[in-house]
Amino acid sequence: MKGASFTERLLRNPPLLTFLLVALVWIVASLTLRGFGAYGHLRYILELSAVIGIVAAGQTLVILLGGIDLSVGAVITVTAILLPLISPDWDPTGLVGIALALLIAAAIGFMNGVGQAFLKVPAIIMTLAMATFLQGLLILVAGGSAVSVTNKAVILLGSARPAGVPAGIILWIVVSFVVLLLIHRLPIGARLLALGANPLAARLSGVDVNRNSLIGYTLSGFFAGLAGMLLLGMNRQGYVGIGDPYLMTSIAAVVLGGTSILGGRGTYAGTIPGAILLVTTTALITVVNASAGWRSVMFGSLILALLLVSGREARR
Amino acid sequence: MDQATPLIEARAVSKAFFGNPVLKGVGIALRPGRVHALLGENGAGKSTLINLLSGALQPDDGEILIDGKPVARLTPASARAAGIAVVQQELSLAAELSIAENIGLGAAPRRFGMIDYGALSRRAAEICGLVGITEPLDLPVGELSLGRRQMVEIAKALFRQPRILILDEPTSSLSAHEVAILSGLVRTLAARGIAILYISHRLNEVQSLCSHVTVLKDGVVTADQSLAEVDAEGLVRLMVGRDPGEVFPPRGTPSGGEELIDIEGFSAGMVHDVSLRARAGEIVGIGGLVGQGQEDFMLGLYGAIDASARRAMIGGRPGPFAHVRAANAAGLAYVPADRKKEGLVLPHSIASNLLLPSLGTLMKHGMRDRAAEAGLVARLAERLTIKGDTSRAVQALSGGNQQKVALAKWLPLVPRVLLLNDPTRGVDVGTKREIYHMLRSFADEGKLILLISSDTPELVHLCDRVVVFREGAVAAELPREAISEEAIVGAAMGLGAKDRAA
Repeated sequence: MKGASFTERLLRNPPLLTFLLVALVWIVASLTLRGFGAYGHLRYILELSAVIGIVAAGQTLVILLGGIDLSVGAVITVTAILLPLISPDWDPTGLVGIALALLIAAAIGFMNGVGQAFLKVPAIIMTLAMATFLQGLLILVAGGSAVSVTNKAVILLGSARPAGVPAGIILWIVVSFVVLLLIHRLPIGARLLALGANPLAARLSGVDVNRNSLIGYTLSGFFAGLAGMLLLGMNRQGYVGIGDPYLMTSIAAVVLGGTSILGGRGTYAGTIPGAILLVTTTALITVVNASAGWRSVMFGSLILALLLVSGREARR
Repeated sequence: MDQATPLIEARAVSKAFFGNPVLKGVGIALRPGRVHALLGENGAGKSTLINLLSGALQPDDGEILIDGKPVARLTPASARAAGIAVVQQELSLAAELSIAENIGLGAAPRRFGMIDYGALSRRAAEICGLVGITEPLDLPVGELSLGRRQMVEIAKALFRQPRILILDEPTSSLSAHEVAILSGLVRTLAARGIAILYISHRLNEVQSLCSHVTVLKDGVVTADQSLAEVDAEGLVRLMVGRDPGEVFPPRGTPSGGEELIDIEGFSAGMVHDVSLRARAGEIVGIGGLVGQGQEDFMLGLYGAIDASARRAMIGGRPGPFAHVRAANAAGLAYVPADRKKEGLVLPHSIASNLLLPSLGTLMKHGMRDRAAEAGLVARLAERLTIKGDTSRAVQALSGGNQQKVALAKWLPLVPRVLLLNDPTRGVDVGTKREIYHMLRSFADEGKLILLISSDTPELVHLCDRVVVFREGAVAAELPREAISEEAIVGAAMGLGAKDRAA
């Protein structure tokens, strides 16, 4: 009886479930695959997860409020290409360039919010149109060639390892702390959730729908920009298409973490292990010596299978 | 006639959900030509019993007999084939389809495998004449008011020519006029030998229409008898299991408090040119046929829809308000009629629903003060006698308790003007009584209460003053001495006060 109630509680706690799943995969893989369990390899997995985790932070907020942001991939690309171009030469630290790039990313998110809140364009259309627009603009600006980064701060972010911990992971921890606080300890978190679950009831309860949507989408743009910056630092190069893989993975991480794709239910605490799980499975697929096409097919099927196994979307 | 074989009978049926028994050995027999009332508080098991009789659920134990023969496994399809039709409380119409298409849905006459629209509209027109639907039959149902949709739902059930008709709170959204039509219809159908099961929280309707009553309390039958043998108080006692006390609280003396609403030439939605003054300490009832602008009036006051006015002071501030937050700041709170869609965030916990309007007021170090919030939730739950764990999803509560949550969540903001849109619809008698007493105590504390109600006795016995709406304007304003069911219904139907005085 007690065991049953434990399983029941576990099933009702998707973040914990995803965490346990990650732990299980790690243990099994470490025991069966040579080199998987090495400290350096696990650290590398976490470093890659940080990028997804940071994009998915904004995606979590937007999905919680009942929307979706299909422009995060494009925003990452924009940041990765524009940051080297707009970092002024007179600033040796590179912080001015970072601030400018993040400002642009947040402004793109803000415009998504405006389209959604005031022009009443459905989130899917608004953010998809924004992504298409940005991709076109980038081709015009960058002309298809890769841009190398010289910004000191960004290079540091991508390579520094204070006390052996990559700076990207530290950035992710900070982001996680802030986002968890935002969702669980600040009024806006409860408002976003209420908005996602029942916008009409939330509005009649005095929740400012437009204001909270704007904040949600702006933050999503900001976090995508942050992730783009980290990716640029790790890659040393920005090019058109660099952000593309992160659209699908950010949404998958959110949903794997037990957040309802319909909005109104979930937490970033689930997205964190969701991101790690995604990178881990990608790493495992890479070990199997398959062609790129097959890897993609396997990755897609795996996400589908994971979602089915965890049976996340409870009926309403 | 009571000796005729029951058309459908449940014998000692039991049903449990996840180990919680909902029905325990319940029996009911519906006989031809009899209007049988089914009463019980919310959560007593009425809906479950209906679902068993209509084949939507299977009993765990006991049996169901049709025409005296046991049925092994009643399914919705076999129930339909046996002539059982249910008019659900939750409407099940397709908003995009026309009235005629909805009425014929799933049972439309066919010719060469295609829907025979000619035959459909002939038969639908016949039935609409019977239930008093005068709208053009090709009108999409989505354009009808809630009350008219309810009538379409009834027409849809009759289209299948049932032998057994189950009406689950058919009058909860009907106007007095429509209730009268429905009552006549029920009598006609009973006279034709149809067995009718009538579920309602309105005891006067039950007493005037039904001849036999089954009372459910906590999943068991506490009474199965002729209605002639029991009076209204007796029925309430059977449902509640204790002496109900006065349903309506005594009215105090009007104190002449501060003027909280003073509007002139107020227009919003279908409401035009309404003037109203109301003071703290009053309960002002808003009556009329369903859909005459009462709701638009409230939403306009609340800043939820665009409104204009020649002059408007609401809660001591110049209005009308541009948005809900401005209305909240002026001390207004609104409790919607549709608590599931508009009043509550159903999948969220009772606690988060209670906290939603007051988020941001209980803060410590710039963050939500969890301890203070828990204290507030506990106090609210206690004051409104919401029992049990407040971390449960609010959708797990019964209708009455949900309504209490929808009301309670505003109390921390100490609203001075409560706008209540039909707060007792679908609420059982015990909880209704609690709500009435609560509203009176709010008024005594110096709040102004505006109350839209589809239940005329509520307007008559609870309110200090009643404003009757008709076609978006005030048709009559009745001071306390002039409030009566006749006066309210008369004004709602468009009879001038002078005509009746003569």
